[in-house]
Amino acid sequence: MGETRTVFAGLSHGEIIAWYGLIVVSTAVFLWGAARLVVKYRAGRRDPISQLWRRAGHMFAVVFSHKWISRRDRLTGIGHRLVFYGFLVLFAGTTILGLQTDLTKPIFHWEFWEGGFYLGYKLALDIAGLLLICGLALLAFNRWRRRPARLDYSRPDRPEGGEAGADRRLYRVGDVVFVSTLAFLAVTGFLLEGFYLADADPRFAAWSPVGWVLMKWFRAMGLTGKSAGLAHHVLWWVHGLAALSFVSSIPYTKAVHMLVGPANVAVRDDTAGKRLVPLAADAASEDVGYAAITDLTWRHLLSLDACTKCGKCTDSCPAAKAGYPLSPRDLVLDLRERAEALLGAHAALGLSGAAAGTAAASRAAGGNGAAAANGAAGVSGADPGRRVVLGEPIRPESIWSCTQCMACVEICPVGIEHVPIINQFRRRLVEQGEMDPLLQSTLETIYEAGNSLGEPKRKRGRWTDELTFTVKDARKEEVDLLWFVGDYASFDPRNQRVTRALATILERAGVDFGILYAAEQTAGCDVRRAGEEGLFSSLAEANVAEISKCRFQRILSSDPHSYHTLKNEYPAFGGDWQVLHHSELLLELLSSRALEPARRLGYRVTYHDPCMLGRYNGVYDAPRKVLETIGVELVEMPRNRDNSLCCGAGGGRIWMKEKRAEGSRRTSEQRIDEATSLGPIDYFVVCCPKDVTMYSDAIKTSGHEGALELRELSELVWESLALDA
Amino acid sequence: MRVLSCIKQVAVLGEEVEIDPGGRDVDPDYLERSLNEWDACALEEALRIVEAVGDRAENEVVAVTAGDEESEEALRRCLAMGADRAKRVELDPGSSGPSDPLTVAKALARAIEGESADLVLCGVQSSDSVQAATGTMLAELLGLARTAVVTKVSLDPAAGKAMAHRELEGGLIDVVEVDLPALLTIQTGINEPRYATLRAIKQANLKEIEVLAGPSESAGAFRVRRMFVPDKGASAELLGSDPAEVAKRVSEIITARLS
Repeated sequence: MGETRTVFAGLSHGEIIAWYGLIVVSTAVFLWGAARLVVKYRAGRRDPISQLWRRAGHMFAVVFSHKWISRRDRLTGIGHRLVFYGFLVLFAGTTILGLQTDLTKPIFHWEFWEGGFYLGYKLALDIAGLLLICGLALLAFNRWRRRPARLDYSRPDRPEGGEAGADRRLYRVGDVVFVSTLAFLAVTGFLLEGFYLADADPRFAAWSPVGWVLMKWFRAMGLTGKSAGLAHHVLWWVHGLAALSFVSSIPYTKAVHMLVGPANVAVRDDTAGKRLVPLAADAASEDVGYAAITDLTWRHLLSLDACTKCGKCTDSCPAAKAGYPLSPRDLVLDLRERAEALLGAHAALGLSGAAAGTAAASRAAGGNGAAAANGAAGVSGADPGRRVVLGEPIRPESIWSCTQCMACVEICPVGIEHVPIINQFRRRLVEQGEMDPLLQSTLETIYEAGNSLGEPKRKRGRWTDELTFTVKDARKEEVDLLWFVGDYASFDPRNQRVTRALATILERAGVDFGILYAAEQTAGCDVRRAGEEGLFSSLAEANVAEISKCRFQRILSSDPHSYHTLKNEYPAFGGDWQVLHHSELLLELLSSRALEPARRLGYRVTYHDPCMLGRYNGVYDAPRKVLETIGVELVEMPRNRDNSLCCGAGGGRIWMKEKRAEGSRRTSEQRIDEATSLGPIDYFVVCCPKDVTMYSDAIKTSGHEGALELRELSELVWESLALDA
Repeated sequence: MRVLSCIKQVAVLGEEVEIDPGGRDVDPDYLERSLNEWDACALEEALRIVEAVGDRAENEVVAVTAGDEESEEALRRCLAMGADRAKRVELDPGSSGPSDPLTVAKALARAIEGESADLVLCGVQSSDSVQAATGTMLAELLGLARTAVVTKVSLDPAAGKAMAHRELEGGLIDVVEVDLPALLTIQTGINEPRYATLRAIKQANLKEIEVLAGPSESAGAFRVRRMFVPDKGASAELLGSDPAEVAKRVSEIITARLS
């Protein structure tokens, strides 16, 4: 027999039986908790799932590469990788040993845990243990020394400030317990090894380098032979009990993310937020959107448990930054607490009834009327009234604060879908008529006029009046390029200048293009994101019908909101076309030399990525290449590309009153601050009509007027061509 | 309890207006159509009254209009807001311009007779023709008590009475007790009409609207002879668009008038 060690060395027969008994108990506790999770998710709405193999492959790619966890936070990325791989190897090691002890040896009389395999195993596990300890140290250093703001559990969404009545103490205790349990397991594992080696002193002890060092140390202290054996014996039980307790606690504690995190990455919707779920035409009022915790789909219920409270969502949220009462993390935690209290293991054990009811009532006392009624009805755990979360803890003002910019979804390391969840709550609020009166009248205007500005349909093509040429009517003649102009670009005077610049460029480049004139209606991107799904679908149907009557090759959109919806959301309504953003078309025309810049502009500019173009559609390079081609020096703002900061107008926010905390600064103003911090900048370049409006205002209100000016991409291209107005 | 709510689909003017070649009405191309604001408030009030009574199965709100088929769009909106039924009395505006209030009231009366309504609510006036007469005429035709320009209603169904606040000149409030059945004309501001989601409007499109024949006599109480945009008054002076020039001119005018 080669190198190995005796399993259960020094344990009596009775002890080994007791040990197996404990394994059964801890496994049962684990399985019951895991089963409760499944029961909880099954309480949610049905939502069929397909492509399981592709999903599994994607999940392994994301989890093993750690690419989502590492984003914008290298320290955590490294720390978590060390913990993850360290833990995984140790877990695999335990499984391999268990395989021999309980399967191959008793049944097949095959023992492979010896010789070279054993030595390699010992070395691998020693290294894994070290990595685990290093990773834990890094993460602990980050959380308790470096203390990034995102790990603070204060609630930016509550006017009361601080943690605002939400009990976050358990979370803080949980953080300490989780990290220290893992560290304790790793350290006691090494000590066990040291004691074993000090007792047995095998010649191959150096294959366990950490154990070997400890052995030397113990021996120097005089701990050998029997005394080392005794220490080993005692510590074996301590380590074993800690390990079993940890395993059994996984479904109930922060450790649950080890199961649900990867599960959520697998089952989540790849197009979450980008293509919102349509509403059935015959949906009853009470089926619209989310109000109760059981209205959430099982996927959304599952995603809540995946949250590790890392705070990257709230840290990236423009609403939170501008003093609006929204924190995506706390939205998820509020939902999770209610789901657990009513549907989870806590509910099954009767732990949540009175406590959660009182907490809800006390929080509701400070809220609005509907919330108070909800809280009062929620004293009893079984009361269906407590299932209603819209009102309290999910406050309408929080739901309306969201700009649907996708920053939170995009950065979430476990793939939680905050934006579609918020959108579902909005749908119910719209259904109940609980919205900003300005939003309500805008939606009514869009229904009646087909545009958000209440302009007569026949005026939509008026911007062409000042051009020196006629723009084709795509309804009447075939065109190569059908230009879907959009509301702001058609009607808003500042944006009309941009629209005319682009039209002049297209004319110069010899592009055969036309517009829909009076037949074009709002694309509905923001109507949908504001939660008026019925109006969105009727706008989509009307536009698809009109566009389908025209003969054309491709669609051009100069508005990222229309661009997104035409490209990604109209296919579900039968409109499947090739859609281009004007930055993509301009690049195409410049690359093919259809457009030749007459001169290099030589300006120093910065560029702002619109949410709907960047995060939603991944178009980051086209506008940058256009700027490069026309001879402009681009200086990037710290937050660029997928980390771009929303202007604050998205998700229908442009149709609602600002309800920010006193002393806060609009994100558009913060963005101009960011641009001016880059040194002298000539132009703040945008390529979205809403950005034109938002940042023209922000340059004035931020106190930077005169420091820089706003230019739309088309305007700079127009200037580089040295065209006349 | 049954509350009848009379509504009108009004024409909404944009910035630009053209009179049609007949010279009696605005060219329809320049109009958008919408549910009259006063009537939306009256319908909202009808819904709130019935909802306050309780059981919606035994209490209903019926929306009624007099107009052409196009005006059913406004009825759909009422159904989407929560009206239980909708009725339309055929009334074609024809070539003689907009219908007069008496013709409209006679048409509406045909739909309301036989409904044994406890309460009939109308808007004070319509935003396009601004006659403020239809409701009052309808009350007379139906033989109902009438209370006009109501800003608050409370109902006592058991006693068969309603208390209504009426808005008078100078901010005075007149509190009136009226026996049911009665007709009230509702002032805006009494409530904020609820939002009708497009989901509800689309579902309302599937509901049947009861259509009744209009009054046989076509001659109305009056005819529109001519509609026109008045000439600019001689006393008005337009000051242009350049702020500096406007300011200069205003200053000149003030100096000239003060001296």
